[in-house]
Amino acid sequence: MATTEPKANDEPIVLDDAIIEGAEKLSEEDIAQVINDMIRTEGGARFKAYLNTCMSCGYCSGACHYYLSRDKEPRLAPAAKVKQTLGEFVRKKGRVSRETLMRSCEIAFTDCNLCRRCMMYCPFGIDVAFLMLFVRRVCHKLGVVPRYIQDTAHSHSATMNQMWVQEDEWIDTLQWQEDEARDEIPDLRIPLEKEGADVYYSVIGPEPKFRAQLIYQAAVLMHAAGIDWTMTEFPGWDNSDMCMYTGDIEMTARLKKVHFESALRLRSKRIVMGECGHAFRSVYDVGNRFLGWKMPPIEVVHAVAFYDELLAEGRLKIARKFERPVTFHDPCNIVRGQGLHEKARSVVRQSCETFIEMEPNREHNFCCCAGGGVINCGPPYKNKRVKSNRVKAEQLMAAREKGAEVVIAPCHNCHGGLEDIIHHYKIDIEIKFLIDILFECMEK
Amino acid sequence: MPTVEFEGNTFAIDEDGFIDSFENWNKDWVQYVKQQEGIDELSEEHWQVIDVLQDYYKKNGIAPMVRVLSKLTGYKLKHIYELFPSGPGKGACKMAGLPKPTGCV
Repeated sequence: MATTEPKANDEPIVLDDAIIEGAEKLSEEDIAQVINDMIRTEGGARFKAYLNTCMSCGYCSGACHYYLSRDKEPRLAPAAKVKQTLGEFVRKKGRVSRETLMRSCEIAFTDCNLCRRCMMYCPFGIDVAFLMLFVRRVCHKLGVVPRYIQDTAHSHSATMNQMWVQEDEWIDTLQWQEDEARDEIPDLRIPLEKEGADVYYSVIGPEPKFRAQLIYQAAVLMHAAGIDWTMTEFPGWDNSDMCMYTGDIEMTARLKKVHFESALRLRSKRIVMGECGHAFRSVYDVGNRFLGWKMPPIEVVHAVAFYDELLAEGRLKIARKFERPVTFHDPCNIVRGQGLHEKARSVVRQSCETFIEMEPNREHNFCCCAGGGVINCGPPYKNKRVKSNRVKAEQLMAAREKGAEVVIAPCHNCHGGLEDIIHHYKIDIEIKFLIDILFECMEK
Repeated sequence: MPTVEFEGNTFAIDEDGFIDSFENWNKDWVQYVKQQEGIDELSEEHWQVIDVLQDYYKKNGIAPMVRVLSKLTGYKLKHIYELFPSGPGKGACKMAGLPKPTGCV
């Protein structure tokens, strides 16, 4: 059996047929019009300030896992990614070629996870994620978007969830998991459409689609902690948002509106969401702003903070700690996004015997390289994704050498990304969600 | 697209190891993926999951929900994961010749 690997050069090549098809329909005038409109309207002062303030000091380079993992390839430095895309847009007054547009699309969608690590090291706090999202927004408006992630965005607009789940299938899945869980806990319920509950629980599309055990486990945890909770049977149950990453902010606003409104309609006290990073960013930071709210109109609590609260209040009790040594991966969107790193560690320490830190950690942690919609751009970019995160592999290997057998990652995209890294670099470590650990260790 | 040679077949695969087209699937592909996924023995039950996935995909152009898979095979969720440790979206779809599902998977 022989496997033909793609050529091991790192030269930029556009692989995605949807990017090519989209660009072929455009003239230079079309491209210039959209770019210049965008710079004038949505770009505004922030765009100008960021572009004019960067003095190419290079601090961002050392912060970027792409740059570090690919032998300090200069074009992968965050400032260079901006220069190759927006720098060209400005320099040419919007009149860039289709090739530049396609190349910009690929850089913004697949050479940056919008993880904001570089922003933290930038002396001026320039938000490269904002700038790369600006490029994506231009691409979205021009219809030049990688095929896999655009399919997911289409699913969002057609079904209000990311995986083409039909309304009856959603309800059927919840009732099925309720039935399966009742074999273990006879009086367990997954309450639907309950008004005035303390907790409105929402998840992301892949949970009902393929990983229904996560809903089962959440229901058991809610039962054990005696939580007054509900889910909705209508669209709005999916808190995820790939439109936020394709640059389709109109769709993001619609999705978040449906989500918030279903919780408000049920007069829930707050929203608790499952272990997902980008969904949290979309609900806690981005989508609320697109809708005109500085903060969400109803309190939003990520699963990690919720578990910590339940343990602190004694509502959730650990029967026996998880024995195998664990390490913890900090997802960007909940750590740099809301600072949940200490709460996460508190949960891990309370539920696991041995906790080994990865270095660097907390807000300095490296991204999984799946985030920011990069894994959602699908198979054409997988090899690049794993090659561009050798630093994460090295972090994991070091934790493994110190004895860690399990890496806990409370985020779906991190799971996908770390799984690919573990396979590629042949690291003998298992990935779990935090709820997998709690489910195993808590008093039920 | 990279290719693999297996038992006299040449399969084109994407970077996630999914076959390039459902049309090019054959039973040797299943044996190839079995090795890749580290599944020891293929049982009747694996084949039943593959049949259901393919039938559903031919009708709907998409992979079914795991709920549908469970209903049509009669297997509980846990058992589906025992058969395919990397899950219905990755291992099982790959083996059945479906494209990689879109979304956060």
